[in-house]
Amino acid sequence: MMEFSRRRLLQTGGLVGTALVTGGLAGTAFPRFAAAADDPLYAAAKKEGALTLYWGSYEQQTMEAIRDAFKAKYPGIEVNLLRQASQTVYTRLRMELQSGVHECDSLGTTNLLHYTELKKIGALAPVEPADAVHIPDAFRNLDPDKMYHVGAISLTSINYAPGKVQTPPPSWQALLEDQWHGKITTGSPAFSGDVANWVVAIRRKYGDDYLRAFGKQKPKVGQSNVDTVTDILAGERVVGSGAPFSYTLTQKAAGNPIDVVAPADDAILNLGITGVLAKAPHPNAARLFTNFLYSTEVSMILQKNFWPTLRKDVPWAEGRSLDQLKWYRNTGDDLGPEVAEGIAKWKELVR
Amino acid sequence: MGVISTDSPDSAAAAIARPAMARVPLARTAVFGAVALLLFLLVVLPFGWVLNNSFHDDLTGAWTLGNYARIFQSADLLEPLFNSLVLAVATAVIAVGIGVPLAWLVSRTDLPFRRTIRVLTLTAFVTPSFIGATGWILLAAPNSGWLNALWRTLAGAEAGPLLNIYSMTGAIFICGIYTVPYSFTMVSSALDEMAVELEDAAATLGSGTLRTMLSITIPLVTPAVIASFILSFIQGLTLFGVPAFLLTPTGIPVVTTKLAEFYQLFPPEIFMAAAYCMPLLLVTAMLFWMRRRILGRKQFVTISGKIRAGRRIALGGARWPAFFAALLLPLVSVFLPYAALLLVSLTRAWGQGLSWENLSLHWYWWALFGNSETHTAIVNSLLFSTLAATLCVMLGTVVAYIVERKMVFGASLFGAVATVPIIIPGIVMSVGFFAAYTRAPLNLYGTPLLLVAAFAATFLPIAYAHGGSILKGIGPELERAARSLGAGEGRTFLAITIPLMGGGLLSGWFLVFIPIIRELSVAVFLITPKTNVMTTLIYNAKDGGNYEAVCAMSVLLLLITLALVAAAGPLTRLTSARRTSRKTAPAEGALPT
Repeated sequence: MMEFSRRRLLQTGGLVGTALVTGGLAGTAFPRFAAAADDPLYAAAKKEGALTLYWGSYEQQTMEAIRDAFKAKYPGIEVNLLRQASQTVYTRLRMELQSGVHECDSLGTTNLLHYTELKKIGALAPVEPADAVHIPDAFRNLDPDKMYHVGAISLTSINYAPGKVQTPPPSWQALLEDQWHGKITTGSPAFSGDVANWVVAIRRKYGDDYLRAFGKQKPKVGQSNVDTVTDILAGERVVGSGAPFSYTLTQKAAGNPIDVVAPADDAILNLGITGVLAKAPHPNAARLFTNFLYSTEVSMILQKNFWPTLRKDVPWAEGRSLDQLKWYRNTGDDLGPEVAEGIAKWKELVR
Repeated sequence: MGVISTDSPDSAAAAIARPAMARVPLARTAVFGAVALLLFLLVVLPFGWVLNNSFHDDLTGAWTLGNYARIFQSADLLEPLFNSLVLAVATAVIAVGIGVPLAWLVSRTDLPFRRTIRVLTLTAFVTPSFIGATGWILLAAPNSGWLNALWRTLAGAEAGPLLNIYSMTGAIFICGIYTVPYSFTMVSSALDEMAVELEDAAATLGSGTLRTMLSITIPLVTPAVIASFILSFIQGLTLFGVPAFLLTPTGIPVVTTKLAEFYQLFPPEIFMAAAYCMPLLLVTAMLFWMRRRILGRKQFVTISGKIRAGRRIALGGARWPAFFAALLLPLVSVFLPYAALLLVSLTRAWGQGLSWENLSLHWYWWALFGNSETHTAIVNSLLFSTLAATLCVMLGTVVAYIVERKMVFGASLFGAVATVPIIIPGIVMSVGFFAAYTRAPLNLYGTPLLLVAAFAATFLPIAYAHGGSILKGIGPELERAARSLGAGEGRTFLAITIPLMGGGLLSGWFLVFIPIIRELSVAVFLITPKTNVMTTLIYNAKDGGNYEAVCAMSVLLLLITLALVAAAGPLTRLTSARRTSRKTAPAEGALPT
């Protein structure tokens, strides 16, 4: 209702009326709205009239909520959302660039390597979002040239069935204990970027010995690490390794008997990245959207959907935050070959 | 004239059209030209890109034979090929082994509830096999599967699992039961159109029901049986969902899961993936060559303008046992998995198990009204599938006619071209279509037309194979009569052949419409936010782990398709009634029966 009134009143230009209508709602609504209306970037974006998002970060539901919030805050910009798996979106974009097609304005995927490659071929445009100051310090200024920024924070951890497991394994190391033999489910690094990222991290921490011992536990290997939740809910296995943190919590909140542990030897953190294309047909709308990602609205949506927020001043769901966790992120310029090596080792040692 | 296996050279069929060839050169050239152009645009061009890609290096883009060399040098790439062949052969054996007897029971005997069995088999067809696999995971996962839980209550808690769906056997089972509808539909429409004199003759000479079936009826529909065997084989080769779900956990790689890995790599190895499809093409080409060897010198004409009696073979005491046997397929492919899916879709949170508090229509509400994307996707899915299926059946039938009647020099080349797309897994064809249609002068990227074209092309081989197997059963006499009375080729085709093909064309339409509506992979690089389809949403929900939504949307997709099939029911009866009356009228006076 609130959006409807706002939009309608905006059309009639009744700013005073808007103040009266929204006055009774959240105190911050009015100033932010006024700021949106005066924003020269918004004016330029509105002139472009449209925005095309190619996004693989966040599942459909969260992504649609973000899109709808953007449309509500910035009426007059039509948003086209192409939501497919990160690697699919990226493969498509690559083919488009090779064919000289320029449809995409904003790209959002879960793999940093996509952006280093795009940057190398000059396909990205620098963006300096004003609200980037609110991003947690560790993830600010990922690229010195401002070609890409954080788009999502994703954590890989251990999940389990509370009814069937008295004490869940507190760490990655604990997963190697005898009691978990034949009880573990996980995803495949060949299919899931999150699991590939986990394999790289675990090899850095414990070497190939870990993978060897992990293979002896006879884990059930699905495709995506989302399958761990399915296996646990179905009762096929009781503990998930390399499991999705946010998604497990969503399922828990929905009433499903599942819970998550942040391992003592670090949850593995992977960043979703976003960038604006150099030949974006709607460059201003794309910049407006990038900045919008760091707004309180988006972080509230993320909080509601159990995702880590993109702002320091908005806590995660259930009062969690980055500071309360021990986490590790794979860094380095040479991640590509390391991922390939990890997958090869996995195939050799785990199956 | 209603004779089989006469070992006569097939020049008879070729002779029909030739004499009048020069009569309407312009119209004729226009039609053949249009068919050739369509085949070029739909198949040759995108496939050409795939082939071209396969000779290029993914990293440098340079010309290379390296991709092919890699296939034969690496055990890692050979093993999936071998596994895929095992899966494909077994799938085809199951599909034909169940589908053909089932088709015979439904089409030729007095089996009780024939229509119901037909509809239920079609229901199995509507089910995307990955949905079927999901249902069966709920039923037969070794620890948690409901059937295994039931087994443990009977055999004791310590008993091992009765069934393990995560195995090659499990994957073969699922691929097999969801491929039966292909062989069933193709063979039953051949049987439906068949004349009964030969069966009658066999019965008169003292042959029993079973013997008549095995020595007369089934051999008469050999073209349909072989065509459906090949299609089922290809299906087993190209399915992705089932091996991804059932074989990944056991560590058995197949071609399609390996292809998915090529796309998942960074940078994606799409040229390597193109090369990796070519062995599939080779194997399938061999199958077609074998088909030529088997069918080449025989004739299977059973429709030749004579009366087709509606008489059915009486099963006698075997009626009810046969009925229960015929129910087995729907039981394992529809009832059991959909019961599982329905239960999941009706729960708020499926991990809580079944209870009144947990029961909810929430996910149906969400799928229908809660999600702004769903509306467009449903409309798009229905619209694109309808257009694509129509285009596909029209083109497939005309090509089949040209090939069967050998109307132009090199007609069989048309047939070979029309068969290629189905062998190339959808995700690879998607890249081919992308490359072909994102550049001038044919820039169709982002338009619905491109999706319709890709869908029509992908399933053209089914329409062509189906059309061909029906045409093999229609004798050229009536066409010849029409031609000698002065009708042109076009008029003969429209006024004689098409009506004779009749209901077979409609079943052919569904045979492509249904796989199109549940196809995703060929669309994967072609859809845009405005041309999104239902299966993308289902896949995204699966990708996001939202199983309740996946199940609810699958049930909806099933209901929509079934509603369409039901709506088409009266249409089928209409066409078959017209056909019978047309056929009967001249036949009664002409033939002593």
